[in-house]
Amino acid sequence: MNSANIIALLKKEFLLEFRQKTSLASILLYVLSIVFISFLSFKNGIKPDVWCALFWIVLFFAAINAASKSFFTESKARSIYNYSLYHPTEFVISKIIYNIILLWVVCLCSVLCFSWLINYPVQNSLLFLAVLLLGSTALAGSLTLMSCIASKTGNSYSVMSLLSMPVCIPVMLLSLRLTKNSIDGLEMSVSYKYLGGLFFIDVIIITLSLFLFRYLWKE
Amino acid sequence: MKKLISLAFLLLLTVSGFAQTEEPKMADTMRSEGKIYVVVLVLSVVFACLATYLIIIDRKLKKLEDKK
Amino acid sequence: MKNWWWKILAIVMVLYSIGMGFLGNVPRLNILNETIRNLYFHVPLWFAMLVQMGISWVFALMYLNGYKIKYDILSSRAAIVGGMFALPGVITGSIWATYTWGKPWVADDPKLQGVMAAMIVYFVYYLLRALIPDTQTKARISAVYNIFAFIMTFVFIMIYPRLAPNSLHPGNGGNPAFGKYDMDNGMRMVFYPACIGWILMSVWLLNVLNRMKKLQYKLDNDEEIN
Repeated sequence: MNSANIIALLKKEFLLEFRQKTSLASILLYVLSIVFISFLSFKNGIKPDVWCALFWIVLFFAAINAASKSFFTESKARSIYNYSLYHPTEFVISKIIYNIILLWVVCLCSVLCFSWLINYPVQNSLLFLAVLLLGSTALAGSLTLMSCIASKTGNSYSVMSLLSMPVCIPVMLLSLRLTKNSIDGLEMSVSYKYLGGLFFIDVIIITLSLFLFRYLWKE
Repeated sequence: MKKLISLAFLLLLTVSGFAQTEEPKMADTMRSEGKIYVVVLVLSVVFACLATYLIIIDRKLKKLEDKK
Repeated sequence: MKNWWWKILAIVMVLYSIGMGFLGNVPRLNILNETIRNLYFHVPLWFAMLVQMGISWVFALMYLNGYKIKYDILSSRAAIVGGMFALPGVITGSIWATYTWGKPWVADDPKLQGVMAAMIVYFVYYLLRALIPDTQTKARISAVYNIFAFIMTFVFIMIYPRLAPNSLHPGNGGNPAFGKYDMDNGMRMVFYPACIGWILMSVWLLNVLNRMKKLQYKLDNDEEIN
């Protein structure tokens, strides 16, 4: 474990991202087009429940799109090079941090797209921000591990969404409930225990990913 | 006035009718006729057959394991 | 005939629960009426499933600690037996719910959602195992998925009912537990043996499937299992 290594790996990830802008752009286009399609089908306004559901479905699949890139693009030669240089924990920490930041960007963009094309019904924006940060952290943590598992099976993308669906149900349920609270503009104190639950799930997911990644690492 | 009083009386009657808790309905007839034993017997036979089959599989497996 | 006593015990206990389940006295309750007897048959299925999935999880951990293929065989078989008990559990639960709660699947019950998540997890687990051809890789990857998914769904089943106070199942939220006053001592005398009986049946099934898979492994690979 060496923090310099983690920073070097993170730097590499961001450099790659900036070199080939297509991957981030494709995710953003995906979000934009889905939101546009929903706008076309909900011309007469949209209920808060439906807004919640749409928002999280878009975010979930955009997250799968984004996170699946983290292992599928690794070539065989490069992963062997990585094995020899880094400790698995360093590697997975850098991947998780990178995915968390990526998902925050995706979150921001989908909120922008929703408020531009559909509407922004949230009354308690502070709570909504907390849900987005915690929820996308949980998604990033579990999707990183799932994308590594899926990359071992060959036909990856469909397997990836299948694998991550059930393990994300807890996160999705809590986030949906909290988003509903923030749309209804409820007091913060009502939502504390749910936020606590979400934070607890975040901690569990990240600990488990750190613990389990070393078993996926070596061929 | 008389009408009103009688109406109130009727209302009271219905209220007291609701207040009398009815015993929840159970399948008492079936039990008193003794037909419930038939159900128990049938289910037990079904389960016993499945269990016997499991025992037979277990013993066959034992023989296969011993052959090795 | 040694090691057979617990198998006989399993059969006897389930037979006892079938007999006493129909003949014994139960509390007379509205809405539930005679369906309260489903408690002896529906709930033990879930307990058996939980035991199997716990076994599956423990042996997945043991497999990762030393990569012994016998633990992987046991872990994957336990997941299969767990799924075998979960399916009738869901079906019987839906039938019971249709006649007491009015709908086969109730929207806001955290237990139902947790169970749905757990079932999907195990079906995806079988799929994952089917997709990877190499035995060792299959064992390793599926063990990791098993550990992760089990903790996610079961921590969730433990946490979520405490957060969401509107479960229809007894024991969470405002609903009284069966232990409190629905289930009297007479019912308990049938319910506990039923649970033990079905759990033992599931362990027996696991035992048979495990030995079968081991034999098959020996035949296929022509080597002893370490």
